[in-house]
Amino acid sequence: MAALLRPASWLLRAGAATRPMLSLRLLPGGPGRPHVVSYLPAARAKPVAGGLLGPARLYVIAAEEKDIQEESTFSYRRISSQFDWALMRLDNSVRRTGRIPKTLLQKVFDNTCSSGGPGSNHALLLLRSCGSLLPEVKLEERTEFAHRIWDKLQELGAVYDVSHYNALLKVYLQNEYKFSQTDFLAKMEEANIQPNRVTYQRLIASYCNMGDIEGASKILGFMKTKDLPITEAVFNSLIRGHARAGDMENAENILTVMREAGIEPGPDTYLALLNAYAEKGDIDHVKQTLEKVEKSELYLTDRDLLQIIFSFAKAGYPQYVSGILEKLTCERRYIPDAINLILLLVTEKLEDTALQILLACPVSKEDSLNDFGNFFLRHCVTMNTPVEKLTDYCKKLKEVQMHSCPLQFTLSCALLANKTDLAKDLMKAMKEEGFPIRTHYFWPLLVGHQKEKNVQGIIEVLKGMQELGVHPNQETYMNYVIPCFDSVLSARAILEENGCLSNSDTFSQAALRTEAVKGNLDYVLSFLESNTSPLSLQSVRGSLLLGFRRSMNIDLWSKITELLYKDPRYCQKPPGPTEAVGYFLYNLIDSMSDSEVQAKEERLRQYFHQLKEMNLKIPENTYKGIRNLLDSYHVPELIKDAHMLVDNENLGSRKTVHLSSSKLESTIETLKAENQPIKDVLKQLILVLCSEENMQKALEVKAKYESDMVIAGYAALINLCCRHDNAEDALNLKEELDRLDSSAVIDTNKYVALVKVLAKHGKLQDAINILKEMKEKDVLIKDATVMSFFHILNGAALRGEIETVKRLHEAIVTLGLAKPSTNISFPLVTVYLEKDDLPAALEVAIDCCEKYKILPRIHDILCKLIEKGETDLIQKAMDFVSQEQGEMMMLYDLFFAFLQTGNYKEAKKIIETPGIRARPTRLQWFCDRCIASNQVETLEKLVELTQKLFECDRDQMYYSLLKLYKVNGDWQKADAVWNKMQEENIIPREKTLRLLAEILRDGNQEVPFDVPELWYEDEKLSLDSSLNSSSTSVADPRFQNDILKACRLKQSKGAYDIFLKAKRQNVVFNAETYNDLLKLLLSKEHFTQAMEVKKFAETHIKGFTLNDAANSFLIITQVRRDYLKEALTTLKTALDQQQIPYQLAVTRLIQALAMKGDVENIEAVQKMVNGLEDSIGLSHMVFINNIALAQIKNNNIDVAIENIENMLTSENQVLEPQYFGFAYLFRKVLEEQLQPAVEKISIMAERLANQFAIYKPVTDFFLQLVEAGKVDDARALLQRCGAIAEQTSILLVFFIRNSGKPGKASTLKSVLELIPELNEKQEAYNSLMKSYASERDVTSAKALYERLTAKNIKPNDLFLKRYAFLLKSAGESVPFTEPPENFEFYAQQIKESKENSS
Amino acid sequence: MAALTATGAVALRRNVSRPVAFVRKIPWTAASSQLREHFAQFGHIKRCIVPFDKETGFHRGMGWVQFSSEEELQNALQQENHIIDGVKESLFRDAERTPKGKRPPQANGRKAAQSHPARFTQPK
Repeated sequence: MAALLRPASWLLRAGAATRPMLSLRLLPGGPGRPHVVSYLPAARAKPVAGGLLGPARLYVIAAEEKDIQEESTFSYRRISSQFDWALMRLDNSVRRTGRIPKTLLQKVFDNTCSSGGPGSNHALLLLRSCGSLLPEVKLEERTEFAHRIWDKLQELGAVYDVSHYNALLKVYLQNEYKFSQTDFLAKMEEANIQPNRVTYQRLIASYCNMGDIEGASKILGFMKTKDLPITEAVFNSLIRGHARAGDMENAENILTVMREAGIEPGPDTYLALLNAYAEKGDIDHVKQTLEKVEKSELYLTDRDLLQIIFSFAKAGYPQYVSGILEKLTCERRYIPDAINLILLLVTEKLEDTALQILLACPVSKEDSLNDFGNFFLRHCVTMNTPVEKLTDYCKKLKEVQMHSCPLQFTLSCALLANKTDLAKDLMKAMKEEGFPIRTHYFWPLLVGHQKEKNVQGIIEVLKGMQELGVHPNQETYMNYVIPCFDSVLSARAILEENGCLSNSDTFSQAALRTEAVKGNLDYVLSFLESNTSPLSLQSVRGSLLLGFRRSMNIDLWSKITELLYKDPRYCQKPPGPTEAVGYFLYNLIDSMSDSEVQAKEERLRQYFHQLKEMNLKIPENTYKGIRNLLDSYHVPELIKDAHMLVDNENLGSRKTVHLSSSKLESTIETLKAENQPIKDVLKQLILVLCSEENMQKALEVKAKYESDMVIAGYAALINLCCRHDNAEDALNLKEELDRLDSSAVIDTNKYVALVKVLAKHGKLQDAINILKEMKEKDVLIKDATVMSFFHILNGAALRGEIETVKRLHEAIVTLGLAKPSTNISFPLVTVYLEKDDLPAALEVAIDCCEKYKILPRIHDILCKLIEKGETDLIQKAMDFVSQEQGEMMMLYDLFFAFLQTGNYKEAKKIIETPGIRARPTRLQWFCDRCIASNQVETLEKLVELTQKLFECDRDQMYYSLLKLYKVNGDWQKADAVWNKMQEENIIPREKTLRLLAEILRDGNQEVPFDVPELWYEDEKLSLDSSLNSSSTSVADPRFQNDILKACRLKQSKGAYDIFLKAKRQNVVFNAETYNDLLKLLLSKEHFTQAMEVKKFAETHIKGFTLNDAANSFLIITQVRRDYLKEALTTLKTALDQQQIPYQLAVTRLIQALAMKGDVENIEAVQKMVNGLEDSIGLSHMVFINNIALAQIKNNNIDVAIENIENMLTSENQVLEPQYFGFAYLFRKVLEEQLQPAVEKISIMAERLANQFAIYKPVTDFFLQLVEAGKVDDARALLQRCGAIAEQTSILLVFFIRNSGKPGKASTLKSVLELIPELNEKQEAYNSLMKSYASERDVTSAKALYERLTAKNIKPNDLFLKRYAFLLKSAGESVPFTEPPENFEFYAQQIKESKENSS
Repeated sequence: MAALTATGAVALRRNVSRPVAFVRKIPWTAASSQLREHFAQFGHIKRCIVPFDKETGFHRGMGWVQFSSEEELQNALQQENHIIDGVKESLFRDAERTPKGKRPPQANGRKAAQSHPARFTQPK
């Protein structure tokens, strides 16, 4: 926001340039900045130059500054964080480019509307943005937009002041909007708003814009009578006014008048004159004036010159533009201004001039990879510039090497804007230029029509493709055409009918793939049966695999597979059906996840058997691949079923490819006999034997020719042994290899396999040695290697081998083979969880956290602990988590664990902990988990329980829920979500709506909303069908919306009136609405009305009950009216309904009972809320204090005192003594002047201090005495009990609590006088300053500051900020540099530093 | 041949660092076939993917090219400028650059085997 609101003087500092006198005219950014097309010279040239301009000017400056400051001191706080980002973007946009894209403004506006009551500065920002900051929007549209914003925000409760009216005026001026000035003033008067100088000034400008000098004079006369200063800006307006009235002579005369009035014409004056000449097309005078300015000490910037250019162009004299262009200095910093002018010219349909300026822009043309002019082309497309012009511009841009591919860029703009005709014409132009036209160029066009299911549009695009000689490919049909039709059949028919099915085969295959992906295997089968055109399995394999996985019909699986295998049309070409279909099977298994295969195990078995019966064969190699997959999925039982398919007949023929092992063996024999080297052949033999998986033989061969073994042979052999789970030989071979060459390195996978097999066979030390070797030899560790480590550890964990897991994990991590991570440490916990050894599991997790700062599987541990009811361990885990990761994380962990284990009530309690707020990543994690494991109920509960969670992104929560429903195809539940969201008043994001629409469509349901538009149209929200059906008539959603809005705006009367009106018409709202209304009425003390509403709701809605909030407010109101019995009943009802009443309500009730001396009922309340204290947020002290107070009230002082003493001194204390806060009791006793009680309490407190060393009560009492103004009594107490002065922490807490509270400064001061040691404590003097500041006590604040400085104590920034603010508000100077940031910043800083140090 | 492919696939699965280049800043005018055409000069392209956004009909300016060998990939990576349709591309070795789970659909479409622990890891 800053740049939008910031007074120009701030910007000046940043923009200070070498020419200080002029610098202000060059500032970047800000709405007040002089803009290229600013019609309001008043906004130009804020301060600075004033020094040169005489006293009148100075006054102007002061006044203007004040005006701006008034407008900028609005609190930013009301802008809630939700749309902060949007405002930031507006701000950034203005700063960077000096303009705002319309879409961005619209977005911020929508956000503002949907978030309810907009702040007034917010409204101001939006209004201000509707003028020249929108060069891309037509002038009329801008004003329309401003009016829309004005009305809508007013409706939403924005309060307008003079700044808003002035902003609106400025927008009018910038947009050359014609309006009635008198009406405007009347409107202001009606709203009881006084126009100020700025208003008048702008009204004069508006008259002048129309050439109405008479009107301007009237206002001018009025200003004079009011003694308002006439500024340069006014004169500048008058120049324009006279000129527009056709009176150039008088326009020129204004300069003389100005001089007579003691105001020297500045550059803005000359600019006004220049613009006036330009509008007349008077190039001679323009040139003369320019020369005159050049000769003077004045200086016109490029920005000014650009404005003259605009005047010429707009008035229809483009021929003079080049004359002015020559005079531009063409400095780079003016490029944003030039860009804005170009955009404006295009908006005004003056594209040719725009191009002229663009071509004059000083951009480097050497680097051909940096294109310039995109903004121009894009905007031309938006403004529907004719294609002939566009292609011409593109040509020119390319010629001057400003843009390397302007046509392509323009085309992309046309596509994005979905301008089909323009796109086609551009493509034709491109084709003529010799550029290729590619199929995907048409996709964005198709997408546009597809979203609207616009068949006609699709057909037109397809025809366009034909015209350009482009053929749609399968992707085009599949992704963009077919989804638009109800079915592939109707798609084909309609396309054929319209003659745009140029390639029927492509379409057929696309259709096949579309249906296959949907799982429609019937279609696939019938297509394959009837198909006559060539089709390669490879091209449809992916879709077919998906289809198989989506369909459950194994018969169809088999039939399709058989067809592919046997039919002469498919897969008969080399390499033949065995290979092709085998590979397909491999891919099928491969594409499934482990859990999927496990779930479908029986189906797969059936499938394999059916294939077997069909006499279908797969190659052995493929089988091996499948076997490995099944093995890794932990479904080895399926392996034998897959094995049936192996093609044994061809086994022999395949072997002939390689040399057979027996042949190799005999070769070796011969070579050996001839004493020839056999190493190569031996290696070959070993490799062949390995590939035949013949371990026995391979080992024998190795033993026989050991001396001739090479490294590669050993490596293969080791791997073979590992595969065959032969740890013994693998290890021996490894040792032999080391002897052969100790530096030999085998590849990573073989090392890992070795570690795995050794670990599995208990050769732990050997496994660790291998790991060490990996480290020493610097073996490449890949992601997959780390993954393998995890699997090794996890395998061991599942086998329950604690020692193995521990030692291997330690070795891997300490050797640095894998970084400590939750993944790699996961098995450490698993091993104990598998054994159900929960204490050890927790211990290990905690240990990991201490060692590596990670906490593996804490969620699973907690779930198990909860299932087993291990309260102590849960406590331990919680303590640890909250200590390590904070209380919030702990609460979330616990919340998720309760949810997971189905303990929803407990989960509810946790998530309702006061102060807990949404942690999006944690919530999302749990959502994703639920979705992955299809836990519908758990996720539903999560969504339900987080309804009131602070800052919870409800839309995101529902989105996750919908995702799960989508997986399950449950449209009924999705539909219920839709209603639920409306009830909760959530604005769904587009993606949510789209997902919802998809689910409904998949379930063949009508979609009850327009997908893209819905969310900002209020009326459409009325689709609320969730209203209570027992009502006499369905609630009119309009009523409901109105009443909810009134409730939101806290308009109790309005809301009640709507209720009455609805009641008369017998309209019933839903229960939520009544609760909201009740809450509002009760909070405003409208008790009778509230009872009326309650009665009505109870009689019209079956089982209507008040919710937590409404009940709480009811209790508070009842207590205030002294209906204690009724209040007790309300509390009981609320608690019976499992509600959690507000702490305030319960406390108020207890306090009221205490004042009545009603011990019995306090105890009754205590019993009622037993167990809920923490959820409500009630401390034990509320009961202790109030019971004691009640007893004292009943004159049972001794009983009360005895009870308190017992509590504090007994062995099994309810609370630690330092938490026993008796402030309330003491204060009440003092307030009520219960003298005997005061004395006895004093004695008790001293006794507790002297005999039991419990100092809290006596300190509290001391502080209460001071607070009650009994300083002498306090001093006496302090003298009797000196230890009070040492209770620093209690005393400082008292300071912090009371700081800033009105009227407490004197109390704090008294305490300091009694205990001067505290003076040096930071908390004490900070609190004191805060109190002085809030009481505006400058003298005391000064004294405090001086005392600190004298003692050489340096107060922190917050202290200084407060002090500075206090001084300034008292009109005094600040004797030190004021900390620059705002209060929140320093408060946050202190908070953070505290958190960091704790 | 298919048998060889099958074993090859198994091997590939184990070998995560496949020779894949990650290409950024692809101009909108180019699709996978243009990418393929361009990179064919460095070696045999096994697979080339430029995913399109079905919401807009445009791609997101990035893609993946899988070569048949590491050497070919290195050839491509060592060339200083890659210009497709007049636009300079940015080329990376894929392995480290793409975050886990956002891998392009692989030649054999595999996820990490077995129970992927990442799925059960809580984000901090």
